[in-house]
Amino acid sequence: MSDITVFKAKKIITMDPNRPAATHVAVKDGKILAVGGADCAAQWGAFETDSSLADSVLMPGFVEGHAHMMAGAMWQYAYSGYHDRTDPDGKLWKGMTTIDEVVASLKSYAATLAPGEPLVGWGFDPIFLPTERLNRRHLDEIAADRPVVVMFSSFHVMCVNSAALEMAGYDEDTEAEGILTDGNGTPTGELQEMAAMFPVMHRVGFDFKKLSQEEDSIRSYGRTANRAGVTTITDLFATITPESLETLLSVTAEQDFPLRIVPTIGAMGAPADQIAAQARELAASSTDKLRLGGVKLMTDGSIQGWTARVKWPGYVGGQPNGIWNTAPEQIYELCEIMQREHIKMNIHTNGDEASEVVIDAIDAAMRKHPWRGARHVLQHAQMMGADQFARAAGLGICVNLFANHLWYFGDQHAALTIGEDRAMRMDACRSAKDAGVHFTIHSDAPVTPLGPLFTAWCAVNRTTMSGRTLGKAQCLTVMEGLHAITLGAAYTMGMDDEIGSIEAGKQADFAVLGSDPTAVDPAALKDVPVLGTVLGGRVNLL
Amino acid sequence: MKDDRLPLTVIGGYLGAGKTTLINKLLTDPRGQRLMVLVNDFGAVNIDAALLESADEDTLTLTNGCVCCTMGADLFMAIADVLARNPRPDHLIIEASGVGDPAKIATAAKAEKDMRYGGIVTVVDATNFARLSDDPMIGDQIKAQTACADLLLISKTGSIPPALRAQLSTLTGADQLLAGDVQTVADLLITPWGWPGTQLFSKPHPDYVNWSGTGSDDFSRAALREKISMRPPGLFRLKGFVRGDDGRGFLVQAVGSTVAISRIDQPDSTSLVGIGLKDRVNTEECGTWWQAG
Repeated sequence: MSDITVFKAKKIITMDPNRPAATHVAVKDGKILAVGGADCAAQWGAFETDSSLADSVLMPGFVEGHAHMMAGAMWQYAYSGYHDRTDPDGKLWKGMTTIDEVVASLKSYAATLAPGEPLVGWGFDPIFLPTERLNRRHLDEIAADRPVVVMFSSFHVMCVNSAALEMAGYDEDTEAEGILTDGNGTPTGELQEMAAMFPVMHRVGFDFKKLSQEEDSIRSYGRTANRAGVTTITDLFATITPESLETLLSVTAEQDFPLRIVPTIGAMGAPADQIAAQARELAASSTDKLRLGGVKLMTDGSIQGWTARVKWPGYVGGQPNGIWNTAPEQIYELCEIMQREHIKMNIHTNGDEASEVVIDAIDAAMRKHPWRGARHVLQHAQMMGADQFARAAGLGICVNLFANHLWYFGDQHAALTIGEDRAMRMDACRSAKDAGVHFTIHSDAPVTPLGPLFTAWCAVNRTTMSGRTLGKAQCLTVMEGLHAITLGAAYTMGMDDEIGSIEAGKQADFAVLGSDPTAVDPAALKDVPVLGTVLGGRVNLL
Repeated sequence: MKDDRLPLTVIGGYLGAGKTTLINKLLTDPRGQRLMVLVNDFGAVNIDAALLESADEDTLTLTNGCVCCTMGADLFMAIADVLARNPRPDHLIIEASGVGDPAKIATAAKAEKDMRYGGIVTVVDATNFARLSDDPMIGDQIKAQTACADLLLISKTGSIPPALRAQLSTLTGADQLLAGDVQTVADLLITPWGWPGTQLFSKPHPDYVNWSGTGSDDFSRAALREKISMRPPGLFRLKGFVRGDDGRGFLVQAVGSTVAISRIDQPDSTSLVGIGLKDRVNTEECGTWWQAG
């Protein structure tokens, strides 16, 4: 038996300008040996041809630069969102477009649970159901004999039923910010922010941190990625303990685990040099499928929560400017020390004031500690304008733009947060590209669903939920969109030497598609079927 | 009659203000209480190694829960872990991050039925407060940390500069103490209080005013709230039990400007105790308030 396998495909879109299209790819030892026609591997010796993908279109495995392990784990709970969503096992959960539908769906879910077991739903977004506010009475219809908790998609608000309120001891005598009440002081069931939510959360055993560290969660993340054609993904702001590292190492090492994970630890809660030391120590544990060593910095909040730090003229509703989760002077210190220690940074910046502070901080750090290949990444970078992209390009800073926001929240941004002018140039892929910034685009799963083809569709069409095109001048071409979710993402992660394109020497990581994304109407890019992935030459079809 | 809820005191203040120093001092003299401390910036805190060694394992636990958007879940889950401990500590102290909003953490104690609001102490660096509070980037957050405080501790100065005192007074009516005065913080917030009928402190303390009041009126919740809201502003803490007009009683706990009223079985009689700083309140004032119709 030969150690060379040649996969035959209907078409291979390589993202390698030297050979943009092909029909065959030869794989040896999990890596790409040659690309071309049926005889592409002939000069390397005997080979076997695998025709199992002969009817498929292959692309480089998609690379998601901003997602969280929770994306898989959330499916332990009942989906309650407005949009259709597919779970890691391929089951389609129809979006619920009225509160009645949410109630009906959760009611049938409750029937699958043991008596008294808490029912936890997630993904509910009141922004799409403006007619009526979800309250305890709706949830009491689902069940009166068990706690019912519906977590909103922002993770900042939840609504609970009477049984859950009772469990937490919330009644007309409870007085705390975030426990919403009706005119008579009776809690409505809506709880805002962690302080008001945690008395319910710990009583029903809903724990974010555990959600991201369990074996099942990691496997579920793998299946979620597999369905989206993703072969390399980040887990930004991971908490890694010695025990959870062991779990990560053992699960990702399983032969049939179909994903390379790049966790970055949160740069918070410890002095900068200690965080750098932890990152460095973790880097030494990296394997082929688990890439450690990066850090994630938080700076501001979110635009739709009015907590992003934005420059003048601020928010259209006159809301006060947002908040810093890390003080600017700490951002400077962290940037300097990570730069000095050669630790790659991913830095959350939503508002343009936050991105400006970070660019300034990296600029200052680079003057003190030159490191040209750092490729630090500004994550979200939603309000960066051409001026900031020009500076980023000059400093070698990469960006990862939140293209999915254009569809999900574009209308809201234009109407309610930053107004028309700046909404039109949000997530400005064209400006980034024109400035010469290396960039990618992302889902922030589970905030929005993992699906790089959908994300590319957003960047190509910039269509909002109401159907308008939000800032035509910023649209990418389909090829540019596909580049952003493959080689572009690989570059920002410093992995373009081994993933992101189908060319000799790289990992044999492919997305297996049902049709050619370059041949469909750009408006249908999101509908190109994903049939599975190949990771290191191992086929994982759905 | 007792209140066995876990009191939570939050220590706020910007980077370098002296939050850690305060916590170290409180740990040095824990007033016989099993204190548990949760800090945001593990390592930066430099909790005294000697204290760590001498403390029994229940006295001190550190975590690195951080208080930012969803990630704040870490901190609150750490609080849940503290509540689940057996035996439970007597008092929980949480150090907010340098840009954290102490009020957001303290709200947990108001919401959680097994906890009690135990005050917010914000440490203010006398040398840079004026500049920081005027900073276009973080000024608003700095001012918010101060405005929510029940006690302000002014650090890095031998006496509170009048200009600073005046500026802080525009933000909050909270008492302003020198940071070295950890005694007062411990007396007012950590030392377990006697309930009505027992002695407040083991020995009379010259700096404080102790007041106690009794009564036979039955209160509605609204009337009680109204009454408590009129208390002399210098009465820093007030607690006790009050007869209700619906056959059930009220448990009152006031710290600084925060009042918590919860329901209990009807007590035989109404009885309240209070303390405040001598230069801020006197017993006559308290008596007048309580007796007023």
